[in-house]
Amino acid sequence: MERRAEAISQLRRGVLEFCVLALLREGERYSFDLVRALGDVEELVTSEGTLYPLLGRLRREGLVDSRWRESASGPPRRYYRITHAGDAALETFTHQWGRFRDSVDMLMNLGATT
Amino acid sequence: MTARRLHPLAEDYLRRLRRAGSDLAPERLRELLLEIEGYLADAIPPGASDDEALEALERLGPPGDVLEAERPGSATPDTDRRGTREWAAVILLPLGGFVFGVGWIIGLVLLWSSRLWTVRDKLIGTLIIPGGLATAVMVALLGAVGTAETQECGGVATQLNATTGAVIKRGSMHCTTTGAPSAATTAFHIALAVALLLGPILSAVYLARRAGRPASLTLRGAPLVGGGVWSP
Repeated sequence: MERRAEAISQLRRGVLEFCVLALLREGERYSFDLVRALGDVEELVTSEGTLYPLLGRLRREGLVDSRWRESASGPPRRYYRITHAGDAALETFTHQWGRFRDSVDMLMNLGATT
Repeated sequence: MTARRLHPLAEDYLRRLRRAGSDLAPERLRELLLEIEGYLADAIPPGASDDEALEALERLGPPGDVLEAERPGSATPDTDRRGTREWAAVILLPLGGFVFGVGWIIGLVLLWSSRLWTVRDKLIGTLIIPGGLATAVMVALLGAVGTAETQECGGVATQLNATTGAVIKRGSMHCTTTGAPSAATTAFHIALAVALLLGPILSAVYLARRAGRPASLTLRGAPLVGGGVWSP
């Protein structure tokens, strides 16, 4: 049971970075809004705080970049946006994910009807 | 910079995060704290109750979870992934041949079972040079035997008068030397020795470097959109 739970957790972790990139496709976003938007999606994130290290990794890999803006009401706010490399990675994933999802769905449905 | 104070529970959370994350690189920890502070400032409005603050902290997750995601090794693509298997292979391939040849074979098994090398890398590791440096030593020993000069000497002994000791007939001695290598052969042997010695060393260095390359190499150095205040 433990191993299966870990497998699901890994699957979630694997797709999460592309969900971040997808949310940034429309334009730059304040990190809090980004994190909350992902946290609001069911089954995706258990601890919203773990998204900050993920954003850091995406930054270091050049898939997103960021800038700080002063805020009148609190600490400075960090804004993120997607880069060309991020766009390319997202496009590749979208293509692969579609095929992956269809294949898994096909097998799941087969199992359900027999 | 902070225009208002955070909720006491949020302040306490940041303190725990700072303490538990003291092993992180200072710059990483500073950035993480700044972002989490921003999260707490927005998630817990001024005058929020303890219950509201706790609810926000629950969504954020315990400091341990956040730090676990930040620490290298948690699927960080730019960490060095070379483990015992890879280092053992890199050492055994050039040197393992001296251990009755078995060491090289173990190195070979480790090389082919690692996922950090491509088939091309593995072929290079296998073919340059089978047996590693021990092959160079073997070839050198065999070469020494095969090309050794042989000198054959023959002749007749000096004949002396048995009673007077006077020389009757002076003897003669002549030697012939065979097997002395020509200049071209010598040059070939030197080139072969250099290749056999350098091959395994360069091959091991190449494998060590290839295994150490980051998984996301192709994403590195990608042009960043815009400049100015935007930074990766």
